[in-house]
Amino acid sequence: MRQLAQLQQHFQRYLMDDSQAVDSHALDNNWIVDDTKVGATKRLGIYHNAYRMRIIEALASPYGGLKKLLGPVQFHAIALGYLNRYPSTYPNLRWYGSKMADYLQTVLPHNLVATEMATFEWAIAAAFDAPDVTVVTLQDLAEIPPAQWGELTFVFQPGLQLLALQTNAVPTWKALNDDEAPSQPDHQQHLHWLIWRQQMDANFRSLDNTEATLLAQACDGLSFGALCEKLFETVGEDATLQAAQYLAGWLETEMIADIHR
Amino acid sequence: MTDNASFLGFGLGLRTEHYHEILENKPKVDWFEALSENYMVPGGKPLYFLDRIRADYPMVMHGVSLSIGSTAPVNLDYLKELKQLADRIQPAWISDHLCWTGIHGQNMHDLLPMPYTEEAAKHVAERVKIVQDYLGRQILLENVSSYASYVDSTMTEWEFIQQVSDAADCLLLLDVNNIYVSSFNHQFDAKAFIDGVPKQRVRQIHLAGHHNHGDYIIDTHDAPVIDPVWDLYAHAIQRFGAVSTMIERDDDIPALGVLVEELDIARQLAAKHTQDFSQRNAA
Repeated sequence: MRQLAQLQQHFQRYLMDDSQAVDSHALDNNWIVDDTKVGATKRLGIYHNAYRMRIIEALASPYGGLKKLLGPVQFHAIALGYLNRYPSTYPNLRWYGSKMADYLQTVLPHNLVATEMATFEWAIAAAFDAPDVTVVTLQDLAEIPPAQWGELTFVFQPGLQLLALQTNAVPTWKALNDDEAPSQPDHQQHLHWLIWRQQMDANFRSLDNTEATLLAQACDGLSFGALCEKLFETVGEDATLQAAQYLAGWLETEMIADIHR
Repeated sequence: MTDNASFLGFGLGLRTEHYHEILENKPKVDWFEALSENYMVPGGKPLYFLDRIRADYPMVMHGVSLSIGSTAPVNLDYLKELKQLADRIQPAWISDHLCWTGIHGQNMHDLLPMPYTEEAAKHVAERVKIVQDYLGRQILLENVSSYASYVDSTMTEWEFIQQVSDAADCLLLLDVNNIYVSSFNHQFDAKAFIDGVPKQRVRQIHLAGHHNHGDYIIDTHDAPVIDPVWDLYAHAIQRFGAVSTMIERDDDIPALGVLVEELDIARQLAAKHTQDFSQRNAA
């Protein structure tokens, strides 16, 4: 009698082997009960097919936009290729698919919109179930004496991400999500995109270069005073006012989890 | 190890489509089953709704990743997260499936069947003990639907379940639909399965639908419960008495009211057949 470990190795090797498909000559039929009603080949084929279908369905969940962009046939092929390249090592399917953007870069190197859409969609999913934090409000900031504002540093919510994209992947995603016809691919859009969670929903918006730079610096731990000094280099005398306006916007949209003095 | 879980009544699987209605309308459901992996995330909406619904309803946890039958080492990281979730929602019990999902660090994300052998039973029982010690409670193991069986099996599936659960002192989640599906696929007597499991260990029953392809059935959990499965449920209640019962719909999720109505069929059948059970046992 085979050992349990041998049976499991045999079964798993069969499931993961794309070349075998359902071929009775390729199968070692003396480990699965054969019968005339269904047959060992078809019985194992059910599992072989289910493994792939489940993964394709799991990838369609975070990458719904990508699926609409590529169409179901190409998405199906991409998903199978991804599975072959990156078999799941996760107990939880939620985390499967993190390398889709990297994978698309290798298999669809000219479809930059697809690659960037995958990056965007994974960021949205990450924001959606990022850790819960209490947020700091404008009222909280107002209670800090202005004389201390220069030294303040900010901790942003864990779900916050900044993406520098070169295509119109995000507007395309939005159009597809709204069941509208997307624009033609544009590889020269070059925008910064902010993804974060507000009121339990993942949100996104584009940022101009000034805000994107300031936000990145704030995320890196620069104090409010240092942020103003950096901003002065680009906008001059209005730097403090503009920085305060940006900060107010971040507070109002629940981006900041803590303020350190 | 003793278990103090009581009869919870009639429940449903907790589904995102129903969150708002559950909180607003407080439907006629006695408890909910939370899919553990859906809530093993760092934060956000799923946990928000889980906490709020838990405040109003008893809950149990049901996972798919324990891979209790695998020859890979027990995944302690997974157990740690499972325990954290259990500490958060204080479920009446925790269940997973009598199956394996992968080895060598890979996950097939499927509930793969076990060979029904002494070796496999001993192996599973040892792992169940590790899991129960870690979690500090007995767990429930669910019978899976299967499409293939092993030449090496030396006993029936229900004899295997008996051996595992007795050796591990664990409890059982009997999926009556899965019994029907497997009995069709492997041509065994479904009632013999129900009659053959250790009745004192059965704490929960699943009821679900499936897809019949003629020569075989695929367990899709995406359709109403069919009459032969209701008949098997009646047979189960006549043997076990009242068991916490739920409808498990995983796909093509209908409106909550549709599932509540289906659950009422289970209530009525259970009321009728627990009466028979009580009368027989009083005699």
